[in-house]
Amino acid sequence: MKKIYILLFITTLIFGCEENDDVPAQPFVAAFEKLSVNLSTITEDSEIAIVFSEEAFGSGEIIVQVSSGEAVYGEDYATIPATESNQIIIPFSEGDDQTSFTFQPLMYPYTIDDNNTSITFEIIGINYSGYSNIQGYTSTILSFETSLGAVISPEVGGPNEGDQVFIDLSTEEVTSAQRDSWDLGFYGGDEFRVKINGSIYMAAAELESTDIDAVSLADVEEIQSSVAVGTFDPNNEAYIDDPSGAISGTAINEISATDADNKVYLINMGYYIGTETPAAGSVAIAGEHRGWKKVRILQTSDSYILQYADIDATTHSEVTIAKNDAYNFSFFSLEDETVVTVEPEKTNWDISFTVFTNIIDGAGSYGYSDFVITNVVGGVTAYEMSTDDVSYADFSFENIDEINLSDDQRIIGADWRDVFSGGVYNDRFYVLKDVEGNYYKIKMLALLSESGERGYPEFEYQLIN
Amino acid sequence: MNSCKRNKFILLFLLFGIQLNAQQNDSIPKEKHEDLEEVVVTGQYNAQSVDKSVFEVRVINRREIDQLAGNNLADILNQTLNINIIPNASTGKSGVQLFGLDAQYFKILVDNIPLINDEGLGNNTDLTQINLDDIERIEIVEGSMGVQYGANAVSGIINIITKKSSVHKWQVSPYVQEETIGDEYNWVDKGRHIQSIKLGHNFNESLYGNAIFTRNNFNGFWGDKEGKSYLYNDGLRGYEWLPKEQYTVKSLWSYKKKNFNLFYKFEFFDEQTERYAEEVRENYMPETETTQPVASDEVFSSARFFHHLNANGQVFKQVHYDVSLSYQEQKRNVEAYNYRIRTEEKFDVEDYEYESRKAYYSRGNFSNFLPKKQSDIQIGYEVNSIKGFASSVSGMYSSENIERTLGSYDVFASSEIVLSDKVSLRPGARALFSSNFNTQAAVSLSARYALKNGWELRGILGTSPRLPSYEELYTYFVDVNHDVRGNSNLNPEQGTSAFIHLKKKSKINDWYLSNKLSGWFMNVKDRIELVIINQSPLQYEYTNIDTYNAWGLTFTNTANINNVRINGGATFLGVSKVLESEESDTDDYLYGIQLNVNASYQIPKWNTVVSAYLKYNGPQYQYVQEQDENGEIAILKGKQSDYSWLSATVRKSFLDNKLQATLGARNIFDVTTLRNTTEGGTVHSAGSTNNLLGYGRSYFLKLLYNFNF
Repeated sequence: MKKIYILLFITTLIFGCEENDDVPAQPFVAAFEKLSVNLSTITEDSEIAIVFSEEAFGSGEIIVQVSSGEAVYGEDYATIPATESNQIIIPFSEGDDQTSFTFQPLMYPYTIDDNNTSITFEIIGINYSGYSNIQGYTSTILSFETSLGAVISPEVGGPNEGDQVFIDLSTEEVTSAQRDSWDLGFYGGDEFRVKINGSIYMAAAELESTDIDAVSLADVEEIQSSVAVGTFDPNNEAYIDDPSGAISGTAINEISATDADNKVYLINMGYYIGTETPAAGSVAIAGEHRGWKKVRILQTSDSYILQYADIDATTHSEVTIAKNDAYNFSFFSLEDETVVTVEPEKTNWDISFTVFTNIIDGAGSYGYSDFVITNVVGGVTAYEMSTDDVSYADFSFENIDEINLSDDQRIIGADWRDVFSGGVYNDRFYVLKDVEGNYYKIKMLALLSESGERGYPEFEYQLIN
Repeated sequence: MNSCKRNKFILLFLLFGIQLNAQQNDSIPKEKHEDLEEVVVTGQYNAQSVDKSVFEVRVINRREIDQLAGNNLADILNQTLNINIIPNASTGKSGVQLFGLDAQYFKILVDNIPLINDEGLGNNTDLTQINLDDIERIEIVEGSMGVQYGANAVSGIINIITKKSSVHKWQVSPYVQEETIGDEYNWVDKGRHIQSIKLGHNFNESLYGNAIFTRNNFNGFWGDKEGKSYLYNDGLRGYEWLPKEQYTVKSLWSYKKKNFNLFYKFEFFDEQTERYAEEVRENYMPETETTQPVASDEVFSSARFFHHLNANGQVFKQVHYDVSLSYQEQKRNVEAYNYRIRTEEKFDVEDYEYESRKAYYSRGNFSNFLPKKQSDIQIGYEVNSIKGFASSVSGMYSSENIERTLGSYDVFASSEIVLSDKVSLRPGARALFSSNFNTQAAVSLSARYALKNGWELRGILGTSPRLPSYEELYTYFVDVNHDVRGNSNLNPEQGTSAFIHLKKKSKINDWYLSNKLSGWFMNVKDRIELVIINQSPLQYEYTNIDTYNAWGLTFTNTANINNVRINGGATFLGVSKVLESEESDTDDYLYGIQLNVNASYQIPKWNTVVSAYLKYNGPQYQYVQEQDENGEIAILKGKQSDYSWLSATVRKSFLDNKLQATLGARNIFDVTTLRNTTEGGTVHSAGSTNNLLGYGRSYFLKLLYNFNF
């Protein structure tokens, strides 16, 4: 019997308990989706969204205080639900992850007299059975002023990063263009300069000839393997545009007024947008190679004359592209043989998310995904701040140091993200001065989607004032 | 095999190895120096005593396994000279390194046949997956053993010999083992908890069967990490060592008649390893100043099935045969998912096969053809068909999974020529035919010369090829910035080793002494390395290019007196790598030393054995390339610091030896990370790293109860 007891005793020791993890709690928060809304975008009854930090596990209500200065409730604007002693009470139910109220712009159409209108909504109470707090975007301002900031998730197209996205911070406007929709950009400024499309890893090499029809494949075969991005040969820097964005550093020399000085260029057309779905967290930027072309560019009065052909062709096409001063560049697609719209007007964007051809010192050109450039050609400047010096939240107008503003377009570049961990460096943020003279601070928030896929960047910015 | 002799020795081990002798059996002499009479089977025609073996076989017997409370191979091998265990904290695997060559060059066998794992048959084995509960002893042979064990037995082999009989009619042995992991221990989610039960029964004179069930719950080493519920992306989420939980079920059926033995062995092994990502996507929402942290976690599940049917005996009153048939498979599946840490929600759950190997295997040895006792011939075959699978995410493969079958069809022959009482020779050769590679050959020549006064000299020359890995054959990583390719035209690497052993046994007064000096040289040519095959554009490909040389001296000593047993040894190893693949390299020898000493003292009055095991691993050097400030490549000598493993245990038997308690400490010097400057400074890695080698000083208590009737 004793044996049996011992056996039982030992076997009862066998199985342990279930694991038990405690996750630190955070409050339930309801906050405005936007810090500010430009009234010019509100032409009819519009929803003002209030987002929650998490799905509500019970019902409740949010109390919003309204202050509108000169604007009169019921005459210039109204809300649904209506205000009661300048307060709106917005109910929400279990399972909601956001709610909203309706803003009615009774004063629309706006006149010049409305320009000073400023209506502020502020969350002053959250009635909720759980632990809640008022924090974050606790108020939103409706006015005709420049944006106070926002959270933006540029849609670059997931892990293939097929789109270039342009963002105007002061208006929160976002536009995009497919990366491989253009090949050459014709400068709209004083000089005659032509850039190649680094977002698809194009490269260009000057040839000896000035006769585009005389150039054949045999003439270029020897150099083709070098005229490419990512060959780990420092000499290949000659075949790409200066990654700093300096217009004087294009791979194609300045277009001379003397036709005889304008040589034929071998053009590596780079790669189509990738189509594979890579492992989560990775990118598949480059698809099929787009082949080779030859071009020769001349100038006439305020226009460019572009001669282009397939590499082995004995005839060529010719097109005249007029300079357009409203834009940094006029874009042309050698494939579709047409002028295309890519960037917004030069004063209407500040930063762009794009695939990019950069240089690694000693290793030559190298293709980067998730790159962010500033619109230096349009006059935007920026610099990086370390949170060791001052935090993003504390950074104010007094902290701005003009001398740091750089006209290198790579200030944000790729150094905001860690490709190995898929994370964003929290120890830095960026200060940007736009062409209207507004200062913004920019903080990157995400590189990956919630599911861990690449190509879902997100950032926050705020007007510094 | 000579079953009678073997049985006798197994009995000896049962009695002295784990002290199951509930009733005193007078017919078996009580030996206190059983090391001197150890029997081995590795590389032998028949079970042989260590003395008679032409190979130099090192034995770790059950007594040592029990004194170290070893549950798996990784628990005990780190006390062995020349062997290093290389744990990989990020995969949870532990590989073996012998003479500086990794687990690809080393073969692990169970009862003479290679054991499968998810990356190969016999090689690349994860030592933590080899449970030791039914093990009688472990035999280690250093050197290339291609004739005896085929491809991939380059640096050496481990042959794990299981117990195949019991003296008791019924045997029921449950045990529990509680162990701290470093200083971490609790009942819930820290420490290591092992439970096991073994049942054995002799049905009659001929038929014996047993079954073992073991659970090993290793809760991982937390260290500075914060576990799976940590919310921040500062590198602290997860574990320093991955938690894993293992279940092993084994069964053995043995049938014995005169001149005929049959056994069938079955094993099922299941392991779950949880890999919690260090990287946290915090998903900070400025609007609410809150986060919704998400991590991409993976749970790996490995399952191994092992079947081994063996028949051995004698026919025509002359010829010994030993034939094994085996089917084995090991599959590693992964459940990959994203995890919302705050709400403990899994989403994007994906289940798929990560890697697997399935093998049909057979081996047959036939010997004793000649009536004359002096010489013998052994012929044999070893054939296998390994079906391998590697999912596209298990390596740098193109987006397609790799699925290949490799057939190996080997024949071998060797002859033992006894020239005189003093001199015997054993030449051997094997032809390795393969479905994928050119026909390979392995040769061996062993010689034994007995000198006067107990001196003995042995020389062993052997070769073995190493077959290229999937990584080397099928890697494909090509994009605009990279071009790294495997090479399906690779040839196997060629390993050759030569050993000389000088041994002396003596008895001085009450001291039994055994001393041995070994010298050896090893060469691996056609080493496969990733080399630059084109500078512009930069292209890499795996190529047979480099050469590896190593030589060394090992001095081992054993002394027994009364109740004391002392072993001590030292080894001196030099390694030279001829790196044709690097532009500027150096092939100078780099040297290292290892020392070990262990001692045990038996106190019969208290039924207690006290023992201590110490191994010192000297600094290890490796040449690394670094760029100096002028951008010039400079060759530097990188160093991994020295460290020591010390374990100490007390074993005591109670209740007429029915209850055994083992209390001990591992890693008493508290080794955790080692400073290592052997990894070259590149864009992607720092020049100096800290390698995680151990999880610090740990304590264990094992309680085993024997119900024998």
